[in-house]
Amino acid sequence: MSVQNVILKLQEFWAERGCYIASGYDGEVGAGTMSPDTFFRVLGKKPWQVAYWQPSRRPDDGRYGQNPNRVQKHNQFQVILKPVPADGQLLFLDSLIYLGVDIRIHDIKFDDDNWASPSLGAWGVGWQVMCDGLEITQFTYFQQAGGIELNPNSLEITYGIERLAGFLDNKNSLFDLDWGNRVSYAQLKLEEERQFSVYNFELADIDMLRRLFGQYQKEAEKLLDHGLFLPAYDYVLKCSHAFNILDARKAIAVAERTALLGIMRGLAARIAQKYVQQTEGEDHG
Amino acid sequence: MADLLFELGVEEIPAAAVAAIRDQLRDLFLARLEQERIAHGASECAASNRRLMLHVTQIPERTATQEETVLGPAKRIALDERGLPTVALKKFCEFQQVKLSDVVEIETPKGKYLGVTKVGGGQDAAALIAAAIPAILRQLTFPKTMVWNDSRVPFIRPVKSILALFGTRLLDLEFAGVRSGNKAPGHLLLSDAYFDVNSFKDYFEGLSKNFIILREDERRAKILAEIRDIAEELECQVPCDDEMLDYYVYSNEYPVAFSGRFDAKYLALPEEIITAFMTREKKLLPVYDASGKLTPHFVGVANIPDENRKVSRGNEKVVQAAFEDAQFFWDMDRKEDFFALKGLLKNVMFQKELGTYFEKVERLAALVDFLVNETRQDGLRGALHKAASHCKNDLLTKMVREFPSLQGIMGGLYLKAAGEEPQVWRAIYGHYKPRGLANEKLDDLGAGILSIADRMDNIAGFVGKGIKVSSSKDPYGIRRDANAVIKIIADFRLSLDLAPLVRLAALHFAKDETELQRNSKVIRELLVSRLENYLKDHRQLRYDVVNAVMVRDTLVVLDKILQAEALAQLVESGMADPLSSLHKRLRNIIGQNERCPFTETALKEKEEKLLADVFQGAKPRIDDLILKQNYLQASSEILEMKPIVDSFFEKILVMDKDPVRRRNRLALLQRIDELLSSVADFSLLVETKPGGKT
Repeated sequence: MSVQNVILKLQEFWAERGCYIASGYDGEVGAGTMSPDTFFRVLGKKPWQVAYWQPSRRPDDGRYGQNPNRVQKHNQFQVILKPVPADGQLLFLDSLIYLGVDIRIHDIKFDDDNWASPSLGAWGVGWQVMCDGLEITQFTYFQQAGGIELNPNSLEITYGIERLAGFLDNKNSLFDLDWGNRVSYAQLKLEEERQFSVYNFELADIDMLRRLFGQYQKEAEKLLDHGLFLPAYDYVLKCSHAFNILDARKAIAVAERTALLGIMRGLAARIAQKYVQQTEGEDHG
Repeated sequence: MADLLFELGVEEIPAAAVAAIRDQLRDLFLARLEQERIAHGASECAASNRRLMLHVTQIPERTATQEETVLGPAKRIALDERGLPTVALKKFCEFQQVKLSDVVEIETPKGKYLGVTKVGGGQDAAALIAAAIPAILRQLTFPKTMVWNDSRVPFIRPVKSILALFGTRLLDLEFAGVRSGNKAPGHLLLSDAYFDVNSFKDYFEGLSKNFIILREDERRAKILAEIRDIAEELECQVPCDDEMLDYYVYSNEYPVAFSGRFDAKYLALPEEIITAFMTREKKLLPVYDASGKLTPHFVGVANIPDENRKVSRGNEKVVQAAFEDAQFFWDMDRKEDFFALKGLLKNVMFQKELGTYFEKVERLAALVDFLVNETRQDGLRGALHKAASHCKNDLLTKMVREFPSLQGIMGGLYLKAAGEEPQVWRAIYGHYKPRGLANEKLDDLGAGILSIADRMDNIAGFVGKGIKVSSSKDPYGIRRDANAVIKIIADFRLSLDLAPLVRLAALHFAKDETELQRNSKVIRELLVSRLENYLKDHRQLRYDVVNAVMVRDTLVVLDKILQAEALAQLVESGMADPLSSLHKRLRNIIGQNERCPFTETALKEKEEKLLADVFQGAKPRIDDLILKQNYLQASSEILEMKPIVDSFFEKILVMDKDPVRRRNRLALLQRIDELLSSVADFSLLVETKPGGKT
């Protein structure tokens, strides 16, 4: 199955089950979890069902396009179900069946793996879902976001799109994948991987990124003072991406790492609180 | 009489946590039955990652009845002078809900009281059990909990179903927002989500129809038999340690072993890397040929039969990709100057508040120098200093960043590949060993010494940070570190007093002398308790033997181990009883007396002179035996003096009226006691033969 078919089928499946199909966030994020469609909406009381395809950047995972499994930009399919449905695991298995996985002949396992994001003050409990030994999905019950205990909790299902497509299409390397209609993954991504690996590991300007981190932080603080938590959050995500490139450049020393993560966590917590304060009144509506 | 069946359906519990939860459930439940005076027959508790099951047979419908006397006020308070009931008695009756006419007089040692005899028990067992189950589930403890629904009840993973069957009745109860019903979860992949249960027969038949092997021992046996079959078919060996086997047992309800193969070109990678990738990352077992050489095969355990070989093909691809990664890391890392990585450790934090790994290796170099002196291993000095300084460099290699379980091993392998001398790379390679107290073979003394230094530094750091260790909580593995120190000393028979090492290690983490002493004390107590645990639980020595050697407050671990071994042999050969009675007799007479000076010339009687002669003749030899740690021979030579001590006790009155004589006799006995005590406190041994003189 092509990559685009995996995305289309997942969109179809989750739309049928009541999800709003969002677009992925339009800036750099490390994971679908960081999109405002997850970060904000898991807070507070309001029910929320969303599904979206999120390109995700992890500069440190770049391999110059030389590794069959690892890339600095991969694609996630993110589902948030709030409150947690009673049969989340079954829904998920149904989605695999819908994609064409015969679950009676493939060894699907829920292998414990808890998730935490130190920069967003978020964590959850759950599993990595393995299919014949291949990790295809993260399945997580959110417990906290922005340092706030969540009630109700949300279920997050994050599919690895390339992993699923590779499995369904029986490919050994993601560069052998068919994106769809005769466009290959390699054609789309190989040069991107090469260039960004060179940039992330070798050429990214450390001083500039450090400076930018500080400026983004200031901007976020200013916006928070004006109660504008949505643009403030954008700037936290910009901090996060600058941090990730600095990390790939091995430019972050111990004390600095703790300090920078602390700054982002502190901002995320303030943003989350503002969001909750503002939306509290609407919750019962 | 009826049987109880209780099943809790849950989403996948982490495999490593299942067995402990099952045991808690069983223990709490049986304790509750006892508390409620509910009799029962045999009980069984079984668990997988998706269900906890409890089956208790022969429970009476009603709890046992028994008469119970409730004592009221004393008669003189209960009745006034005219014999009429007072307020006190009326209140008592009211409280006990009995009529005045039910009250009887009760004779007690304290005099006459009024009271009532009530019949207790006879309650509906099913109702008590239905109430007990949610309470027990709430009492279970877990490594980490979560909440997921409106009940906000914390549990290890979401609860899906509750089934409680008492005889033919389904009990009605609720836990964590889930109401009990007549459903049990099916197999995750091979059956419907739930199957109906209205009787015991439904349940046990349902399990087998739905591909669920409930009992752990059956799953274990199936896995082992199938692994053996595959091994035979391949004419190879497939070792499976307990940790892996437990993982398979507790992560599959219908375990099926499968095998696969990979491209032989990856066998050029170091074996450690291949096996670590397979076992730790992919939960697969490596396969060895008859001569013990790695083959390009693997064995795994799936939750379904693999008739179409889909599972094995899928795993083959995953393994191939993992080895591709391994090859990439191995090639990239070897291009770097390994020694140069040390400087970069300044950027790697050891632990919050405990500084960087750079600081840690500087401390390790100092601790290793000290250990080399103490253990008189001058030949290792240079190599171990170098090894200590670079033992954490591999934390910066791509391989270890990706696969932390290879730390130490990779440092060793990279240095070996770079042509470093064996004493250095082997010490780094093995310095995370042992992982536990089990039969892990330690083969490199240098690695052992470096490991002691590293672990003492860990312990001192965490204790300095104020981390507390208890039997259930040890988040930083301090107990494991202390266990390892004991095992290394025992396995290499290192004569090493840990007390000064504790102080040296703690020095870095204390801000003043008071704190240093306080932390040192905590560490010493930890080591003592781990040594006791090692002797009792790991070496299976009798508790009184262990107590007898632990009583002296020293931390020369090897001495205590050798003393305990000698004592165990003495017990075995029957020599412990007379030594014990001798020591007890000495202790009785010495009592709390202060140590007295001994004067040869103050001896008067024949028997005391004889004892003094024999003692002084034997002492240098026995001291020498003790110095050489030959505690068995030392003890048996002390035992040879026993008849002379006995006749001394028969003929001589120690507590003579003359204070000079008395003190001199006490002094002689004190010297013998001291000699015995330098082997062990034999008086703490529990005598096995009845009628032993004391």
